Amino acid sequence: MLRVGKQKADGLGVSAGLSWVVGDAEELPFDDDQFDIYTIAFGIRNVTHIDQALQEALRVLKPGGRFMCLEFSKVTNPVLARLYDAYSFQMIPVLGEVIAGDWKSYQYLVESIRKFPDQEEFKGMIEDAGFYSVKYYNLTGGVVALHSGFKL
Amino acid sequence: MAALLRALRVGRALRGLGSVVSTPAAQPPCSNLTRGFHRAALRLQDESKADKPPSSSPSSTPYHEHYRAHSAEQEAAGAPQEHSVSEPAAEEASRPNTSYQDQSGEQGEEYETEEQLQARILTAALEFIPLHGWTVEAIAAGTEMLGLSSASTGMFYNGAGDLVLHFVSQCNSQLTDILAEQHNQIQLGQAEPKKPAEFLRDAVETRLRMYIPYIETWPQAMSILLLPHNIPDSLKHLSTLVDDMWYYAGDRSTDMNWYTKRAALTGIYNTTELVMLQDSSSDFQDTWDFLDNRIQDVVNMATTAKQVQATGETVVQGLMGAAVTLKNLTGLNQRR
Repeated sequence: MLRVGKQKADGLGVSAGLSWVVGDAEELPFDDDQFDIYTIAFGIRNVTHIDQALQEALRVLKPGGRFMCLEFSKVTNPVLARLYDAYSFQMIPVLGEVIAGDWKSYQYLVESIRKFPDQEEFKGMIEDAGFYSVKYYNLTGGVVALHSGFKL
Repeated sequence: MAALLRALRVGRALRGLGSVVSTPAAQPPCSNLTRGFHRAALRLQDESKADKPPSSSPSSTPYHEHYRAHSAEQEAAGAPQEHSVSEPAAEEASRPNTSYQDQSGEQGEEYETEEQLQARILTAALEFIPLHGWTVEAIAAGTEMLGLSSASTGMFYNGAGDLVLHFVSQCNSQLTDILAEQHNQIQLGQAEPKKPAEFLRDAVETRLRMYIPYIETWPQAMSILLLPHNIPDSLKHLSTLVDDMWYYAGDRSTDMNWYTKRAALTGIYNTTELVMLQDSSSDFQDTWDFLDNRIQDVVNMATTAKQVQATGETVVQGLMGAAVTLKNLTGLNQRR
């Protein structure tokens, strides 16, 4: 994944100021108070102990730093929710099998989406970790939510 | 004696804080208090200052209500260091917040709510307005001055609008304080009560003088206030300002006059503000002359309106008298 990222960056001509580090979200290989912004997109769902990842995010952020998380979440509209569930469980694994030859991963994907806490609960978890001014913004009716918090 | 007890409690609190902060990862239940004390505690250990740690328990703001229940059950669980920490916090909650700049020049971050921190950031940002204008860059410079990363400007979803509205509201509070102080002086008999026209003239001048440090960039600020999503807030500030000025001028009217008086003063205030933007005379003397003239106009108009009304009544009475005389002369009044 990092290789693909590096290739993309090189393709865009952006290489200065970027370092590619493999690490554990629950135990980041960085010192305290290092970063202005911490972003995680479609990653925190896969972390075993989400609260530890959130605490690590708090630790490595500078005071005033911003935590931003893009993640699948709960669809708010009931009609859309039914359609989305049908699409998720009937179509996505099938497409995964047909296109990538991998049913199981896509089955895991849709199941992990359902197991992930919803918008309000995740907001509570972020606040418990110690972030302030936590807000979330629903995209596509709640299929994806963007959460933001500040270390103050 | 009380001071000694307080010092002892704070000493216990500091030792207790030391143990809480040193093992943050191992005690997630303590995390909400630790979080609150995170920054301040590190400095408290360094400087051994007896300043007020940010407290979650005695604060009555809605933000912390969520945590009060949680911290209350922790205190009930009998963790002694946390209990002693909340006590000096409760005592010191009555003391005013320390300014963000203390004696060693280091920026303390004691605050009770994020609204207060936001207010402090915006106040710090005001210094950078001559340099950056009323923009998000000024807010970023303000956050950096307080020692925060400039990513925290993301808290201000209205951007420059937040900055301008904060400044306007701050000026309004300053004016209210000045007017209240003058009122007290009059109550105590140390000053003479002013006539409404003169009082309003002084109040408007005092208020507009607060814009003088930012007068070059004020047109930008006014245009921000006129953006559609800012208009409700800016109108609200303007109307409370005018209401306060009339209240301290002594107005207690309860009829249509309430509206006409405030409308008149709003007009005077807005036009004077616009004149001030264009004014290049020394100490804005032209603006104050303009203000005098407008207030005089309104006073004259009020006097004229009264005179017209009185004249009208007299004229009507005269006509009625003439009509009765006519009827007498023609004999219509006599019943036969």
